[in-house]
Amino acid sequence: MKTRPLTPRRYVLALAGWVVLWLAVSATAVALGAENIWAWDSWEKTRDVLNLRLYTVLTAGVVGAALALAGLAFQALLRNPLAEPYILGVSGGAGLGVILSSLYLTAIAAPVFGFLGALVTVAVVYAVAQRRGRLEPYTLLLTGVIINAFYGAAIMLITALVSPERRGEIAYWMMGTISTFDPRWSLVAVVGGLALAAAVLFAFLAKGFNLVAVGEDTAGALGVPVDRLRLVTFVTASLVTGASVALAGPIGFVGLICPHLLRMVLGPDHRRLVPAAACFGASLLVAADLVTRLLEGISGVAPPVGVLTAMTGGPFFIYLLRTRWRRKSEIR
Amino acid sequence: MAAEERNPVAESATTDGAYLAAEDLVFAYTPGAPVLQGLTLSFARGRLVCVLGPNGSGKTTLLRILVGLLAPSAGRVRLAGMPLDAYPRGALARRVAYVPQETLAAVGFTALETVLMGRSPHTGALGFESSGDWHAAREALRRTDTERFAERNLEDLSGGERQRVIIARALAQEPDVILLDEPTSFLDIRHQHGIYGLLRRLVTEEGKTVGAVSHDLSLAAAYADRLVLVHEGRVAAAGTPQEVIRPEVLSPVYGTPVEVRTDEVTGRPYVLPRPP
Repeated sequence: MKTRPLTPRRYVLALAGWVVLWLAVSATAVALGAENIWAWDSWEKTRDVLNLRLYTVLTAGVVGAALALAGLAFQALLRNPLAEPYILGVSGGAGLGVILSSLYLTAIAAPVFGFLGALVTVAVVYAVAQRRGRLEPYTLLLTGVIINAFYGAAIMLITALVSPERRGEIAYWMMGTISTFDPRWSLVAVVGGLALAAAVLFAFLAKGFNLVAVGEDTAGALGVPVDRLRLVTFVTASLVTGASVALAGPIGFVGLICPHLLRMVLGPDHRRLVPAAACFGASLLVAADLVTRLLEGISGVAPPVGVLTAMTGGPFFIYLLRTRWRRKSEIR
Repeated sequence: MAAEERNPVAESATTDGAYLAAEDLVFAYTPGAPVLQGLTLSFARGRLVCVLGPNGSGKTTLLRILVGLLAPSAGRVRLAGMPLDAYPRGALARRVAYVPQETLAAVGFTALETVLMGRSPHTGALGFESSGDWHAAREALRRTDTERFAERNLEDLSGGERQRVIIARALAQEPDVILLDEPTSFLDIRHQHGIYGLLRRLVTEEGKTVGAVSHDLSLAAAYADRLVLVHEGRVAAAGTPQEVIRPEVLSPVYGTPVEVRTDEVTGRPYVLPRPP
């Protein structure tokens, strides 16, 4: 692929294309589902179904965008192609925060506690995995594994102590679901606003992402304030991860699959990847959620979308570990 | 060659008149283990200076301070007469370029994209490159003789080709000063001379100020205008290759006997290690 200048015109055209993709996938996902709304003669019922589907599609969109952006940012700043909110334990930390707040506080506190859980996790993972400012790639992933195990135990402890009814709710939520039982439109708006803000911010930081991915000293010597960039990026990624977990539970691997698929098409330039990740992440999760709803139409039960992404993302992780990752570590 | 043989009379132990000068630098990564202990040196404009010294003598730390990546705990650095910390990051990056020792991360950027990154101190917030930026990048590829690798991935190039591309990135910054950390480690003799020949041309033809950390005493002596020998965080000796490449200077610093001879063709000294 020949390197071509990234002009403002190309940038806007590409962005428009990605937005159109997201809108098209969303429109398809509203039109399709378990029930065939077009055969119904009651407009009220059709309207209610469409309303719920719109909620589902928007929720999947904002959550997908948030997770894809967070994954892209973690991969760039941690200089690790396998970094992702779920694998690093950031989603787990957010999950623990959300569960704790749901036991004692009102629903409004959930995204705040999700954010705090995510932020604490990022700080811990970074502090443990780095040595003299250098991140050991495998140490980073192992730290994520251990942190996830710890959070898993903490959440199990909580579920053991609460009522059986609450236990079922928590267990289902931890699978990562886009639930329409109790639509929370305001939370969708909050997550959507945060994801949009993160996309705009990351678009301005993309130049720095490129340089840090090449090397921190290189980035610093080219005028990038590396420490400040890292802080701002980690806080923003934690914020969108925490908010999306509060909305839909910990949905894994979107932040891994989406940036990698885009890199295969667009190359490694974050100036191109940031707007693409926001829209493609949204499209991907909307499509995944549509698949679960179509499965519901066949089998009568909708699998949680988080189960679907994990079952696809797990093999994808192993593929990356065996190919791209090996190539990278051999060169070092 | 005439320009190379010029006696660096303007150089002296003081930092007056130097373009980039460090004075009494003190630095420690961990308290109680100082890496630099009052290091003073200077880079005169349009000269190639090589910084020599044993492993762990503080050479890399020195370079990282000189490009503003680290702040010394004492002492100061001046660039064109102004304290280094008075320069905003972007302005500093337009004056001083750095070629770190480990520059390879297999991220997938092509050589051209890598060189374009050198333009980043010159571009706006979203990083769009103008036609001028592309011209500068192409020109940098041409000057380093790497145009034919432009569309190849950096990790697919050989070590010598890659190092030239990284130097092209430094050139694309359009800096006055280029500082390199062991630019020829892991390279074979042909590429070692290729890199130092390139640095020499940048100095004599374009008037760049170049500082390179090196472990190869003979190579440094063959190309540099001036050598600075660093030992235990201080300057042990500084001067022309003939002044620094002497057994009585080198042996105590490296802790091993050496023999120095003179290359009959160039008149420059070279070093033969002798078993203790």
